[in-house]
Amino acid sequence: MNDEASDLLDEHLAKARLGDRSALAALVRAHQGSVYSLALRMLGARDLAEDLTQEVFMQLSSNLKSIESSRHLIFWLRQVTSNRAIDQLRRRARFTFTPLDDEMQLFSEQQDTDPLLQRQIRTMLAELSAPARAVLLLRFQDDLDPTEIAETLNMPLNTVKSHLKRSLDTLRVKATAAGPLRLEGNSP
Amino acid sequence: MSNDLESQLKAALRPVAPRQEFSEKLLAQVVLGNPRTKVRRLAPARLPLAWWLSASLAASVLLGFGVHEHLQERRMQQSGLEARREVLEALRVTSQKLQLAYEAVKSQSAPLPDEKTGA
Repeated sequence: MNDEASDLLDEHLAKARLGDRSALAALVRAHQGSVYSLALRMLGARDLAEDLTQEVFMQLSSNLKSIESSRHLIFWLRQVTSNRAIDQLRRRARFTFTPLDDEMQLFSEQQDTDPLLQRQIRTMLAELSAPARAVLLLRFQDDLDPTEIAETLNMPLNTVKSHLKRSLDTLRVKATAAGPLRLEGNSP
Repeated sequence: MSNDLESQLKAALRPVAPRQEFSEKLLAQVVLGNPRTKVRRLAPARLPLAWWLSASLAASVLLGFGVHEHLQERRMQQSGLEARREVLEALRVTSQKLQLAYEAVKSQSAPLPDEKTGA
């Protein structure tokens, strides 16, 4: 997020804290995609992700006064979404990752990624524990570094690094077993 | 390979936009403070239904059991009354027979006039 966008969100946040509904709407619009994506890939089903997104923003609207800045807001949204999703996954004894019909909704509509890799990622996400899944998503979806992930999930840094290494090793093994990855721009 | 894999992961895990319909409902709910209703419910909606089905089933079983017990009690009362009536009837008939037998014995054991005279 560049400084200009950050300043604008700070401005919206300040207004929203004073009760400006259009400013709150702007905050919701700006962040609903990242919250929903994290929820969707954590929970694996659109309906559950929508419910979770809704819960997170309802919690935000009643906790606006505790949010200090736009950076804090992003951190807060990631933390609440991840923790709620992890709690949900732990509560469920038998968790089906994703119905077949919804498979492709886990990924961006701009499909420039190898479908085989998408399938491997989907399978791997389904097999990961809830905290490991959150670590992987925060690293590669939200582009956080391991320290930021540790802070967001309130997890030791070494645990974060260990989750990341294991997940990448697993994916690498799956990718190797299925054949070489097709990488954009690398095909002969 | 590692960097390729990581860049592929980043590309595959780009944020996805929620449905337009959901986005509008979310804004209405959070910003306008509309009453909170789940946009879509899955498992939570099934819980009350399951509860009601179980409660209905339990109530039906209990009702059936109660009706059965009541009918059983009435049948027993009726059969008791019938048995009492039959016992009374039997006693009455027995009493009549005994009376007849008593009268027969009495009439046979009474001495004839000729026997009295020794003729």
